[in-house]
Amino acid sequence: MGDDRPDILRPSAGEAGGQMLQGTLDLMVLKTLEAMGPQHGYGIARRIEQISEQALRLNQGTIYPALQRLRQRGWIRAEWGASENGRKARYYSLTKAGKAQIETETESWERVAATMARFLKTAGS
Amino acid sequence: MRTVISRIGAMFRRRRLDAELDEELRAHLEMAAEENQRRGMPADEAWKAALRDFGGVTQVRESMREREGLLWFENLRRDAGYALRQMRKSPGFALVVVLTLALGIGATTAVFTLVYSTLVRALPYPEAERIVALHDVRTQGQSTGGLMSVPRFFDVQARNRSFESLGFFFFDQSTMIAGNRLPMSVQAAGTNADLWDVLGVKPLLGRGYDARDDEPKAPETAVLSYSGWQKIFGGDPGVIERPIRLDGRPVTIVGVMPADADMPTGIDLWHDAQFAAQGWNSYRGEGTRFINVFGRLRAGVTGETAQADLDRIGEQLRREHRQSDGMWGFTSQTLREDRYGAMRPALLALMVASALLLLIACINVANLMLSRASARQREVALRRALGASGQRITMQFLTESAVLGLVGGGIGVAAAFALVRGVAAKLPGRLGVPGTVEMNWPVVLVALLIALATGIAFGIAPVLESRRVELNTAMKQGEARLGGAGHTVRGALVSVQVGLSLILVIGASLLAESLWHLVKNPLGFAPEHVLTFSLRLPWDTKDPAIRSFFSDVQQRIEALPGVQAAGQMDALPTVDWHLRSNFDADWLPRIANKPAINAEDRNIGGNLLGAMETPLLAGRALTVQDSLEKNIPVLVNQELVREYLAGGNPLGRHLLVGGKPHEIVGVIANLRGTAGAIANPPGPEVYWPADGNGGVVGRYFVVRSHGDPAQLVRAIREQVHAVDPQQAIGNVATMDELLNKAVAQPRLNMAVVASFAGIALLLACVGIYGVVAFFVAQRTQEIGVRMALGATRREIALLFVRRAVIPAAVGLAAGVVASLGLTQLLRSQLYGVRPNDPAVFALSVAALLVTVAIATLRPALAAASVNPVEALRE
Repeated sequence: MGDDRPDILRPSAGEAGGQMLQGTLDLMVLKTLEAMGPQHGYGIARRIEQISEQALRLNQGTIYPALQRLRQRGWIRAEWGASENGRKARYYSLTKAGKAQIETETESWERVAATMARFLKTAGS
Repeated sequence: MRTVISRIGAMFRRRRLDAELDEELRAHLEMAAEENQRRGMPADEAWKAALRDFGGVTQVRESMREREGLLWFENLRRDAGYALRQMRKSPGFALVVVLTLALGIGATTAVFTLVYSTLVRALPYPEAERIVALHDVRTQGQSTGGLMSVPRFFDVQARNRSFESLGFFFFDQSTMIAGNRLPMSVQAAGTNADLWDVLGVKPLLGRGYDARDDEPKAPETAVLSYSGWQKIFGGDPGVIERPIRLDGRPVTIVGVMPADADMPTGIDLWHDAQFAAQGWNSYRGEGTRFINVFGRLRAGVTGETAQADLDRIGEQLRREHRQSDGMWGFTSQTLREDRYGAMRPALLALMVASALLLLIACINVANLMLSRASARQREVALRRALGASGQRITMQFLTESAVLGLVGGGIGVAAAFALVRGVAAKLPGRLGVPGTVEMNWPVVLVALLIALATGIAFGIAPVLESRRVELNTAMKQGEARLGGAGHTVRGALVSVQVGLSLILVIGASLLAESLWHLVKNPLGFAPEHVLTFSLRLPWDTKDPAIRSFFSDVQQRIEALPGVQAAGQMDALPTVDWHLRSNFDADWLPRIANKPAINAEDRNIGGNLLGAMETPLLAGRALTVQDSLEKNIPVLVNQELVREYLAGGNPLGRHLLVGGKPHEIVGVIANLRGTAGAIANPPGPEVYWPADGNGGVVGRYFVVRSHGDPAQLVRAIREQVHAVDPQQAIGNVATMDELLNKAVAQPRLNMAVVASFAGIALLLACVGIYGVVAFFVAQRTQEIGVRMALGATRREIALLFVRRAVIPAAVGLAAGVVASLGLTQLLRSQLYGVRPNDPAVFALSVAALLVTVAIATLRPALAAASVNPVEALRE
């Protein structure tokens, strides 16, 4: 692909919180939405905390810039709706492009993870 | 597209977004707090925990707000970078697009600069909208260019309730002697002191003359114009209080005006005319109108109120001075209207022409972009497969075309700037006055906005095209192909382009034919090899001195080698000068207070008819002896005879002025341009001997030479100096130069529209060629199949010719209809040709057909020469 690689797929630096790898949170959000269907910000944050078995104590607030970013890229969409107990809440769901993105990112994550694992095994000893 | 708009909107709808964001965050915290409570926390504890888990609410909100705006710029920056890389990758395409746009934008910008400078920009006087030009006009029949007589000026001054101040000026060709220098002819204007208040200008140096200088017996004062100060005195600040002699009278220079003060334009100095209301009462009659009047409205007074006021005064004067003022009234118009109103139709026509050209350029670019878009379908499909949304791709295409638009527009504006800088001073008439036509920021801004809008507009076609891309099919090589809709779009573009070009070609042809008539119709004189110049004796020169001076100069010029004939006239053709009189005639009924004939007067001397080569149609020319007669004989022009004595013989008949009979001894051909524009039809005219009635002090000489008339100037200057060392010749010009100046405006219009039409034809040619060539390239395989199935080469060629000819024919038909309407705009600009002249229309359609044929044939023949075997193998 070379130069033809679309700009929109190039990672842009300095967006997510410092301690997490770029894109980690994004992929988590996307995966969560894939698994749970439409969900509001609080629900997504709780779900990520639960799945990661509290290992990842993120500030729940950081979920919102991530949601905004994903929405602007067209991977998720947002709609106002009523929550379980009748409160007005903003619901997020995956778009077609978002589903495709999960595949791409999963693939690249697995590659990175595998590389890291190999690297830690061989270079560490 | 929807999200693009919503993002732009987001920048303006900050408040609403903020509200949404706040609501979302509050909902989050409430849900968290509720859950905490359910786990058994007390209410305030639950809230604190929810806040702690959330992190900094303010930081989150701020970073999101920032991002909402930033993203848009971020994407824009990336798309622009991408667009520039695309341009570098295909420089040929980019060059054609940019040049085409530069032509369109450049032409539009140059024309808009003219329009802005004249019809939009503030005039260089404080509160210029309060300055009004007052015209004295005949209630029926021809007036004298709005000029007013002095008593009527003072009547308006005394009786009006609308004007803060009223000023006047009159042109006054003067001979100036400064210090011990040789006399020189200067362009002067006599004015009253109030003129400075009307204009509201402050002198650059010294003072303007004031009410005390207006007194008839006060020492005479003059004020230099900025250009006169530079030209005559080299910008010496020591000129203030310097005494000079003007037409023999001692005058003191009291001030210098800034360059902005150009009322009237192009003069060297103003002097205080020292007119007083008393003493002008005998100058009410016909032929006494010579001052231009301007007023400054009182604060809060509208133009309509002032006009009603003037109507009231006009009515009073018609009653009080039935004989002299009975057929006259006042009109008024704003200063801008007075200066530029006459140009408005021409400027409007140019504006329309440039807009058409811009549209044609845009269509060409849209065509190019369209062809490129179909070549890039695989790229689009790939991007979409990789997850780019339709909106992002739309944005990308639009940014690309906007970048092209801005680059093309930038070059166009720069070219227009250079052009305007280069030609501004050479523009005809008022437009050529320094400082009148300039390009400034508002113009540049508007031009760049147009460029941007253009870019986005022509970017839309390829966007629509890209929307049609189906992921699966387009990914397969060779399947990426335009559907029928693409063909329709291209056909429509060809139609529009041909139609618009036709309008321009018709407009240019009409203007060209009009110009041809203007120059080639008989002028009543032969302008080649003729030198003209003016001589002006002081007002108070005695009759015998006037006669002997002019006859002396006349004889000396006639004696110069190379001179064929020489004559004199008080105002030359093409000069906007008016002197009209009322006559009775011995062959027409005489009615009190209703003169039978109103005609322009001209005073002539020497061998004027010989020098002008004006045909004498009947009778004889005037002689020196005629001016000495008690009842001076006159010549009349053909028009006077046609209008008042159709079919009769005027020789021996008499015109009556104040009861005195003046015998008509000859009839001469109509001289065009005696009352200003040569496009005006000549009216009735009477020619008097310039030496009669006391003698005319200011005259033009007309000298016909065997060779180059400019060679005579030096010898003539010497001869005049020999006759009277106090005099100097002025306004030296050949008759050809005067004529050139007179047709400069129509020639400029014609040249501009013709060059637009030429460019339009070229662009249409390129555009149609591109479309047909594109069809052929797209369908090479199909051609092969058709040929294999037995289609002849002729049929193949016709297939493609039809592709261009049918939309072109539609365009021509629409263009003819549109032209019938639009050429009405030109009506006032045309001379000797009607706006819907069928011959012009027919020839223009033919020109377009030839263009279409040239553009179509080459690619169509290329299609016909396809080798079917190779085409099928591909």
